[in-house]
Amino acid sequence: MIIPDERARQAQRGSSEPLWRAIAVFRFASVGYAALRVAVIDRADYSRPGWAWAVIAVMTVWTVVTTIAYARPERRTRTLLSVDLAVTACLLLSTAALQYPQAPRHGVTPVTATWLAGPVLAWGVRYGRRAGTVAALIMCGCDVALVRGAAFGVALNGLVLLLLAGVIVGHVARLGAEVEAERQRVIEVEAASRERERLARDIHDSVLQVLAMVQRRGAEAGGAAAELGRLAGQQEAALRALVGSGTGGSADGEAPGAASVPGSVDVRATTLSAQTDRVTVSVPAQPVLLPAAAAGELAAAVRAALDNVRLHCGDNARAWVLVEDEPDRVTVTIRDDGPGIPDGRLAEAAAAGRLGVSHSIRGRLRDLGGSASISSVRGEGTEVELRLPREAGVPVARAPERA
Amino acid sequence: MERSGPIRVMVVDDHPMWRDAVARDLTEAGYDVVATAADGAQALRIVAAARPDVVVLDLQLPDASGVDVTRGLRASCPEARVLVLSASGEQQDVLDAVKAGAVGYLLKSAALPEFLDAVRRTAEGDPVFTPGLAALVLGEFRRLASAPAPDGGDAPTLTERETEILRMVATGMSYKQIASRLVLSHRTVQNHVQNSLGKLHLHNRVELVRYAIEHGLAGASDPGGSQ
Repeated sequence: MIIPDERARQAQRGSSEPLWRAIAVFRFASVGYAALRVAVIDRADYSRPGWAWAVIAVMTVWTVVTTIAYARPERRTRTLLSVDLAVTACLLLSTAALQYPQAPRHGVTPVTATWLAGPVLAWGVRYGRRAGTVAALIMCGCDVALVRGAAFGVALNGLVLLLLAGVIVGHVARLGAEVEAERQRVIEVEAASRERERLARDIHDSVLQVLAMVQRRGAEAGGAAAELGRLAGQQEAALRALVGSGTGGSADGEAPGAASVPGSVDVRATTLSAQTDRVTVSVPAQPVLLPAAAAGELAAAVRAALDNVRLHCGDNARAWVLVEDEPDRVTVTIRDDGPGIPDGRLAEAAAAGRLGVSHSIRGRLRDLGGSASISSVRGEGTEVELRLPREAGVPVARAPERA
Repeated sequence: MERSGPIRVMVVDDHPMWRDAVARDLTEAGYDVVATAADGAQALRIVAAARPDVVVLDLQLPDASGVDVTRGLRASCPEARVLVLSASGEQQDVLDAVKAGAVGYLLKSAALPEFLDAVRRTAEGDPVFTPGLAALVLGEFRRLASAPAPDGGDAPTLTERETEILRMVATGMSYKQIASRLVLSHRTVQNHVQNSLGKLHLHNRVELVRYAIEHGLAGASDPGGSQ
């Protein structure tokens, strides 16, 4: 799945906020724990307790600073997180100067105690699993540098836990971001389709009615008004197709004509888009499904035939397009009321190299395994019949209707 | 036609501007607009009293589907013929309304003379077969033919001649053109068209009765809503 950058970032912020607050709580608690160790538990191991308290003070200040800094998403930069990591590592390493030389051998906890996990968690939450792991490894390296001899076994437990924390928190943060992104996408799609339905309803109730009215009144008035009416009619058809395609279709922004069977297209939609005030497109009530490529070619052939009508019969010629869905084939018939084609004209045109009709219509259909026939009666217009056989495996729209 | 006086028309449309304009056009053309209604419920309430010859029905009403209103109108006032006026892109709704007893279908964008002519023909009992309706009826017969007949019921079929004529209507040919092309009389062409619609109505009524019997509704009311 591809999540657009901005949305992913927002989603990450949204879902990781509780984690950042948890990190802050963890750091304060850890400072308290570290202070407890210096004051009571490991008291005897510190050669310089004064300095140890100074380090605890620095840890407290740094905890406050990072908590304030991390509170705002835009301040969680790579620089700040790196500085955080470096400061924590330095404080951890300062242990070497604070405790008696033999202390690490007994497995005494460093002065930072569990506090060193803070930046590891921050890296994990901010940049994911891998960053969490790397931060944990850096911290582990510093810790290992302090450990001597037999205590290594004891320290190892802590290191493994630290590594796990880095990996798991990073993983959880990423998962949370993905879930959040998905949730936002669902909400957006839902809102968009609701809005679209509302618009379609509104447009149907208002604009379309007015356009239909203008078209009718214009045609009655004649002259310049008729031209206005004609334009209104065109816009009405276009607008209706636009809002109509949204209400029937599914919500995730499918192209008009995309049908419920994957990879197939409803020929009705591709053909109905050719409807104008001069061109009447008539279709069955059920979807007429064809593979997308075949439907595209068929639509192109229909357009070519209609262009041809305009070219030879003028802008005022009327044309009718009929889509028929037969069990073994899809038939599209285009008829015009022009003067018709004189006998032999088509062959003549082909011979003269003007292959418009023959080439783009017959050729397209032949490529798809279909055929096209052009017949004309003088004075009664021209009829182009496009026949496209259904190949085996082509989904038939009627299937779900059976019962 | 043994008609006396002007054709009585009822206009059902939820859009006031459109409704008034249609009513005005009809009145100016000499038709008698006996009632108008803004929704299905209102239409069904007043149709029996208004007794129109023709109901001009918009399919998209706020309170009921076009099919239900058509069926209800036919039940309340069997002699009223329903002419469906619809936007394009509502094929299934139009087909359902026609199966439920509507006898004509016209696009809302149709020109005024075409509309007035359609109302007159509907009143005379001549189905208004636009190319769009012819394509829907053709498609429906093909669907019925390809779907397995439910428990012994015979799916209606069109004769070759009827199919041929419907295809011509669907590609915009007038009855006159069809008659001369097929060397038939105008009346014969009209009969073929009327028959195809009649078969669909009959089939729909048979289906409804079957449904009513299966669900124990028989006897409650006449489901076909006519005669």
